[in-house]
Amino acid sequence: MISLPKPRESRLPGFRTKLLVAMMLVVSGVTALGLLFAQHKMAADVKHGLQLEFQSQLDALHVAQEVRYAALAELSRTLARKSRIHAALEDDALDLLYPSARDELLDLMGSGDGSPSGTTGQVLHARFYRFLDAHGRVISPQEAKDAGKLAPEEERQLALGPVPDKPQVGYLWRNDRTSGETIDEIIAMPIFSSETGEVIAALVLGFKPVELSGSRAGGEMKSGLCLQGHLHLPPFPGSDRAAIARELARAMAAPNQNENSFVVGVGDAPHLLFYKQLNPGSLFPPANEVCLFPLADSLARQQMLLWEFVAAGALLLLGAFFASNFIAARLSAPVEKLAVDSEENRAQRKRAETALQLTSEELQRSARFSADASHQLKTPVTVLRAGLEELMAGEKLTPAAQEEISTLVHQTLRLTNLIEDLLLLSRMDAGRLRLEFNPVNLTQLIEGWLDDFSARPDDLGLKIETDIPAALGIAGEKRYTSIILQNLLENARKYNCAGGRLRIAARTEGHWAILTVGNTGRAIPPAAQAHIFERFHRGSAGENVPGHGLGLNLARELARLHRGDVRLTRSDDAWTEFEVRLRLAQPGVTPSLPATA
Amino acid sequence: MSFPRPTRVLDCFFFVVLLARISFAQATLEGHVALPKSRFVPVMNQRYEVVTKGGVISVNPPIAVVYLDGSFPKPSSLPVRQMAQKDLAFVPMLLPVQAGTKVEFPNFDNTYHNIFSYSAAKRFDLGRYRSDERPIPSQIFDVAGLVTLRCDIHEHMRGLILVLDTPYFVLSDAEGNYRLGGLPAGHYTLKAWLDSKTTRERPVDLESGATLHLDFP
Repeated sequence: MISLPKPRESRLPGFRTKLLVAMMLVVSGVTALGLLFAQHKMAADVKHGLQLEFQSQLDALHVAQEVRYAALAELSRTLARKSRIHAALEDDALDLLYPSARDELLDLMGSGDGSPSGTTGQVLHARFYRFLDAHGRVISPQEAKDAGKLAPEEERQLALGPVPDKPQVGYLWRNDRTSGETIDEIIAMPIFSSETGEVIAALVLGFKPVELSGSRAGGEMKSGLCLQGHLHLPPFPGSDRAAIARELARAMAAPNQNENSFVVGVGDAPHLLFYKQLNPGSLFPPANEVCLFPLADSLARQQMLLWEFVAAGALLLLGAFFASNFIAARLSAPVEKLAVDSEENRAQRKRAETALQLTSEELQRSARFSADASHQLKTPVTVLRAGLEELMAGEKLTPAAQEEISTLVHQTLRLTNLIEDLLLLSRMDAGRLRLEFNPVNLTQLIEGWLDDFSARPDDLGLKIETDIPAALGIAGEKRYTSIILQNLLENARKYNCAGGRLRIAARTEGHWAILTVGNTGRAIPPAAQAHIFERFHRGSAGENVPGHGLGLNLARELARLHRGDVRLTRSDDAWTEFEVRLRLAQPGVTPSLPATA
Repeated sequence: MSFPRPTRVLDCFFFVVLLARISFAQATLEGHVALPKSRFVPVMNQRYEVVTKGGVISVNPPIAVVYLDGSFPKPSSLPVRQMAQKDLAFVPMLLPVQAGTKVEFPNFDNTYHNIFSYSAAKRFDLGRYRSDERPIPSQIFDVAGLVTLRCDIHEHMRGLILVLDTPYFVLSDAEGNYRLGGLPAGHYTLKAWLDSKTTRERPVDLESGATLHLDFP
């Protein structure tokens, strides 16, 4: 026999370890990715939030500026209509310009008290104002109090080339001894001639710039202006400002860099710096709004969060380690069991296959034996009968001897039948009998038997009844179908009583043809009914009844080969009836399944 | 019935002869000034508009003031001229006067006017006044030069007074033709004022009784 091979124990722990390592790799990879992503996102969020704040501040600034422009545009339009302003500008009377402007502005603003504090500049809420002539040159006032004080150098910075027809925004850096370093926002409004529509002058007004207020970032935001290399950022000392200004200059040197942001170190603390040009397209020198947000807090928060992430990641990994260990064990257990089982199964199957082969060989051997035996028997029996018939043909025999020989010949015929039946059975047992399924006319077969029957001498005087539909076709092989019929009908005849009845009926039921063969005669005892289909069972039939006890068995085996059956449906004192069930022949459908004996 | 005495008749005769002599002794100038192209179609009522463009003050449609430059004795009294405000405009829009002339500015509108000038030749401010203002507000223009008149209330109103040192001046017609009579003989410069920045001039020798034709191309 085959021995059960030992499962390869060494491979199983290897599988478990691999599973564990793979799971740990996946978990740590996912954790690391999550960590990286979270940190990156947080840094981006911080920057984005600050940028939004910077942008909203700038937007607020722009709104305030728009309002201011609108008011100033209206003012300059009104001024431009005034005869005295026109007269001063056009009639070469610039000395009268500022006094006229003062009068007109006071008039316009409805504050004609003329008190020293109520200078026109203050009426406009401006720090100063100047007129530019049509060539963009500054017209200096004779009395600075009319228009606000400006150093000559500062006044020169207000000059523009040819006066544009659109308002221009600029910034003026002033370093006053009294008020220190300041930056003023300057707006140049063109003054149009009311008759020709051409620009005849401009009004330049200086304001305290609209201040950005650091609100959301907890007042940490520092904002200022960068103008021509001057960085106006009061909260920072000069050295830091110089450093920031250098960084800014470098950033702005790149083309089309009207706005940007970068991280700059102020002292030791990193800051996020945003800048945006406040007056793009202006004829005045470019000025940039600069905002600085300290990143120290945010970096500290990020650092702390990073540690939290790392701690969480470590915990996660630890948990994942145990979980994967557990899961690996759980997952590998059935695999291991499967491995062991499959080894056992293989051995079992091998054993079963061997046994099966042995049995098959034995069966083949025995079937061959009975076939061989039958063949070997047939020849001597034939020889015997031939001899006996020859003897009988002799004329010297006495009638008694002739009688004896006739009996012997009859016995050889029985022997031949028996051998034929055994041969058939042994072929069936060996599984070598396969039916060629063809439509078989059952009605014709029965009628043939009835013809034979009527030709034979009938010593019992049987009365035969038939109830058979015309041309009842079944699926089978005619040769074997007729054996089934013959055996059943012969039995019905043999076991009948004198003057009894024999009834043959057939009908269809679904796919089935159902044939019943009934006869009068002695009932089969109930105890024997279970055994009538066994080989060589002859019940309690009288010895005068010919047969060898193979008929019913053969009929049933053949019927089953036809995928049908034979069974006893009734047996009592009056009537014994068998039922044969066969498949109807279906046109076009030819059952050709191999017989499984 | 008495007849005039012969001496009286003679006197009259001599007076007429004298007059004729004087008038014969005076020269006359006529000619044509090429005016700049008008930017607008001349309006029928010949009203003018004072325009300032690129710092140049001119009248539209164009018209020239032709005058004889030179030193002439100042007359003891000069006639009073008027520059009225009518229908929210100065009438006339361009008024040449000899230096020292008193110009009155009567208001013929139903509204206030406030005539003023920032011009270097004459700065003044008449303040607000109505048509019933008496005496009629006036100014004496002593210094030669161009005076731009404006109204503080009505920004579009412009008037020009060209103050000249000479008594011999005339406005051309809309085509630029002029005729300047009663001129003394001698060598002079004839000038044609076209706008605040353009004055053309030509030398001229005037002979008594002659009529000279002089064009400004």
